[in-house]
Amino acid sequence: MSPPDEETLSARVGASAFAVAAEVGGVAILSARLVRRLFPPRVDGPELLRNLYKMGVRSLPIVGVTALFVGAIMVVQAGVLIRRFGAEGLLGWGAGFATVREVGPILIALMFSGRVGANNTAELATMTVTEQIDALSTLAIDPLSYLILPRVISMVVMLFILTIFGDVLALLGAAYTGQGLLGVHVATFWNGLLEAIRVWDVATGLIKSAIFGLIIALSSSHYGLTVTGGAPGVGRAVNASVVASATGVFIADYFSTYVLQ
Amino acid sequence: MIEVHGLSKSFAEPVLRDVSLAVPRGCLFGLVGPGAAGKSVLLKCLVGLVTPDRGAVTVEGETVTGLDELALQRVRRRFGMLFQNNALFDYLTVGENIAFPLRRMGVTDEAELAERVADRLRAVSLAGFESRMPAGLSGGQKKRVGVARATVTRAEIVLYDEPAAGLDPVTSQKIFDLLRREQRETNATVIMVSSDIDRLLTVTDRVGLLHKGELLFDGTTDEARSSRHPVVKQFIHGEVEGPL
Amino acid sequence: MSELEAPTTDEAARPAGFVADVGREALDLVAAARSLWSVLTRTLHWTLRGPAEPGAAVQACYEIGNQSVFFLSVTMGFIGMILVFQSALQALRVVPDLTMLGATFLELLVRDLGASIGAMMLATRVGAGIAAEIGSMVVTEQVDALRMCGVDPVNYLIVPRFKASLIMTGVLIIWAGAVSFGAGAATAYFLFDVPVNTFMNTSLLDRGDVLIGLAKCVAYGAAIPVVSGWCGLGTLGGSEGVGWATTRAVVNSSLAVIVLNFLISSAGFLLFPT
Repeated sequence: MSPPDEETLSARVGASAFAVAAEVGGVAILSARLVRRLFPPRVDGPELLRNLYKMGVRSLPIVGVTALFVGAIMVVQAGVLIRRFGAEGLLGWGAGFATVREVGPILIALMFSGRVGANNTAELATMTVTEQIDALSTLAIDPLSYLILPRVISMVVMLFILTIFGDVLALLGAAYTGQGLLGVHVATFWNGLLEAIRVWDVATGLIKSAIFGLIIALSSSHYGLTVTGGAPGVGRAVNASVVASATGVFIADYFSTYVLQ
Repeated sequence: MIEVHGLSKSFAEPVLRDVSLAVPRGCLFGLVGPGAAGKSVLLKCLVGLVTPDRGAVTVEGETVTGLDELALQRVRRRFGMLFQNNALFDYLTVGENIAFPLRRMGVTDEAELAERVADRLRAVSLAGFESRMPAGLSGGQKKRVGVARATVTRAEIVLYDEPAAGLDPVTSQKIFDLLRREQRETNATVIMVSSDIDRLLTVTDRVGLLHKGELLFDGTTDEARSSRHPVVKQFIHGEVEGPL
Repeated sequence: MSELEAPTTDEAARPAGFVADVGREALDLVAAARSLWSVLTRTLHWTLRGPAEPGAAVQACYEIGNQSVFFLSVTMGFIGMILVFQSALQALRVVPDLTMLGATFLELLVRDLGASIGAMMLATRVGAGIAAEIGSMVVTEQVDALRMCGVDPVNYLIVPRFKASLIMTGVLIIWAGAVSFGAGAATAYFLFDVPVNTFMNTSLLDRGDVLIGLAKCVAYGAAIPVVSGWCGLGTLGGSEGVGWATTRAVVNSSLAVIVLNFLISSAGFLLFPT
């Protein structure tokens, strides 16, 4: 609840730029420290399995619902074009292509960030403000190998798997909405899709999802570890983490679209 | 008169089990018990902040349980309450915090508001603190601002949840003495929850002991001191050996 | 469907067994729906009839705008670049003609993506902020203190943000849509040599597109503060509880945007045959 202060605009822009640079630098340092723990790999095995299971199971319903609706929405949008040009056969291509290659991975990543990333920040931030992270260090347990690395690996792996699952559900959602709303037979949809789509299109989407997973994992861990200020601080950290993840996802998406064409 | 009949409440597990209690008008009632005994929940049930699973609460003959939020707003005007964490509004000054309940009751005259706030701050020995922010106060000062806010409406019933938690012994005793003095002046009905049993007993008229959600004892302060009930005896006298 | 749980349920305290789980989930869902409905109706009631907190809505407008305009501009700018880049490549596979690229993009932006992706971002930024603030007030008992003073927390905490969100969501989305279109035009010009004049083509835009876009702005603007305020008010426990509430707010308000998008898009599709 900060009132408008009287600093000049340029001072505020400069301050925000420094703040952004500080956070990006913090994420970079965290990544470097994590990479060092990969050679040789020092990862807590049971913690890794626990996180894989927890993150996968927790986000399955939300990813499923999101994917079904995304497929359905894409069909409604494509439906406008189909109706304009009267080409039913293009529906599978129009809706399916964009879903698999672009919209699916992004929206699933955003929901994953809201569910798993935010939760990761909340957990780590709570551990930080209640001094549990310090307690681990005094027990000679490396918090990065024990806590962070398993979470980062789990998030990358799980977002990849969930995107495959989400792609399938989104296409199902699209195919049946096409039949229900536009009267385009499911088989027509599949034929249109399979004719146009290449393996590389699917692969592009999945490569992106792994990159998104990494971005979400790193920024959510970073904000969780650098929290200050009790319960309100935890809320602010979660907020900052989801915002940073979403920004990172869009920027990374642009560059990967450019590189992976 | 506040009456509680067969009150039960469970969250993950039972917090209150079949609690019945009567606090006469003008009485300073101390509610004691070990941690997690359900004291705060019982207090919140009295004003409808927590809805019990079973049982009834009546305040001056009016049944509180089962009222909707609008009706509860009317009932709550009879109450003042100090919260365990003080619950000062952190975006308002000390003065505005204390004036808040009065404004909500429709007092709009700024001069009257300022006078009543200043009067309350004098009563808790914080005269001149009107424009300070809660974040800049010490624990004891926050407590006293909380007391000032709880008593500013001259409510007929005042609830204090852990008025001395986390304070040093001298400050605690001062707070308890202040609350007793307030109660004598206004003849309000007061229910006070505390685990600081020694100091609490110096000011109470009656005492209830809550243990694992059950009311094990209800009587005058002297009866509590001489009780033979093993849990009551152990808790009141702070013994290490015993059923607790 | 753990996402739709009432915030007042405790995940740790469940009896084991699949049937018990399913039954419990169903009851949770009903309880969640009821409490969300109650927050929604009270918000509408107080917005239309209640005494307004002077200045609170203006302050909330300032906060919503100030905290999200930069974030929204960046993400929507990138979305514009991505979409134009992607669709230009797709179009070039079929026909070597990009004259309709801008017109198609503009229609999609107005009809759906501007409002929907923008609102997903607002759900993330504004929704999480609302839940974090209200959640912190719940765990420090400030919300109980409000209720003790005869204040409905919905009126005091959610209604100003609701009014502000109704206004600011529209303003921010129009701004972000313009940024997105500008970024798209730049991409088309620099990477595909499409002149800006050709790109700025409104020929495909009709009344239906604009109405659908506006309907979405209003619906999302209403949904985000109600859903995330509901998540904030349901906070339990200490700092962990605030974290949980914030998480729930992001997920549930994003989900609300997606579901509303589907409903409004379908309705628009049936109502405005082009």
